Amino acid sequence: MSRSDVLVDAEWVEAHGSDPGIVLVEVDEDTSAYDKGHIRGAVKIDWKKDLQDPVRRDFVDRAGFEALLSERGISNDDTVVLYGGNNNWFAAYAYWYFRLYGHQNVKLLDGGRKKWELDSRELVTDVPQRARTSYAATEQDASIRAFRDEVVAAIGAKNLIDVRSPDEFAGRLLAPAHLPQEQAQRGGHVPSAKNVPWSKAAEEDGTFKSDDALRALYSDAGVDFGRDTIAYCRIGERSAHTWFVFHELLGHQNVKNYDGSWTEYGSLVGVPIELGDGA
Amino acid sequence: MSDAVQPATGQAAADGCGAPADAAKVTSAGNQAVVQGTVTQSGAPVSTGYARLLNSGGEFVAEVPLGSDGGFQFFAAPGDWTLRVLAPGGIRAEQGVTAAIGQISRVNVAV
Repeated sequence: MSRSDVLVDAEWVEAHGSDPGIVLVEVDEDTSAYDKGHIRGAVKIDWKKDLQDPVRRDFVDRAGFEALLSERGISNDDTVVLYGGNNNWFAAYAYWYFRLYGHQNVKLLDGGRKKWELDSRELVTDVPQRARTSYAATEQDASIRAFRDEVVAAIGAKNLIDVRSPDEFAGRLLAPAHLPQEQAQRGGHVPSAKNVPWSKAAEEDGTFKSDDALRALYSDAGVDFGRDTIAYCRIGERSAHTWFVFHELLGHQNVKNYDGSWTEYGSLVGVPIELGDGA
Repeated sequence: MSDAVQPATGQAAADGCGAPADAAKVTSAGNQAVVQGTVTQSGAPVSTGYARLLNSGGEFVAEVPLGSDGGFQFFAAPGDWTLRVLAPGGIRAEQGVTAAIGQISRVNVAV
């Protein structure tokens, strides 16, 4: 896996975005962004409405994912190019999610919606009509998704990377600073976790830093690349961004995203929690 | 829509991380340290662009897209922050702001 297999830039999208077999997908939490303007030909996926089970706290099941992609007109052989707001958080989350259900040809637009907008590239409001497909997903790939017991067992044994902001890591904030802070669970972090905010992996325009800069970032933070790794944040989307860096850009195996993240861990009874800025 | 800040109560269902560009701004800080403002160019709102919140050490903390009125809002921790604006055409601007619990700190940025 190398950078060119998993990332495309804006010029590539402008040249190839409407080629047969290429499907652009904007993934946002705030879907009004898509409605206001999106890259020509892009369909939208709502990370919550489309990807989360409406009742249980879990993903839509395999049949649900198949129904979603079939309805959006995405086939198994298509190359899916994902982009979105929030520095591609939700696009990276969707990337991980597409991989989870076995989609092979998936890429991220480097810099996402932000760089596209800052470069004053074309955004349109026409919604494409794609013919329905019969998409077939695989069972979830358990090798890239971590659950809570595995996180507790990883304390002191695996790399735990907390990619939230330092104030969230320390327990001073319970949510990113652009959101209200009311939440019931405890603040802090999983003991032995290293705090490497997702933002340190990105340039100001939202593009990923170079492989060398990324390796140095995690080495300097004390991450042992010889160990297995679990990344988490608050709800698993910022950590999908870091999962993408470890697994797809740097080519590490045995890297999982813990999508339960702090909203689950910080509400568990009886698990250890560490406060403060860490070592 | 999980993160729309409800104008009536100032409460949000904080189970997501996105910040809708045109979410209503709270009018009362409650127990939060709110930073609000607008970005303008020659008096007109800058509706395409991003506001980034940096801590006192210059480290990135949060970012939101500007609203159609050029507006932005953060729920910060109390303290001193730098607000950095990025907009098309290579526009960058910065301004300092101090946040305090129970207060809406306003910072208007002209680029």
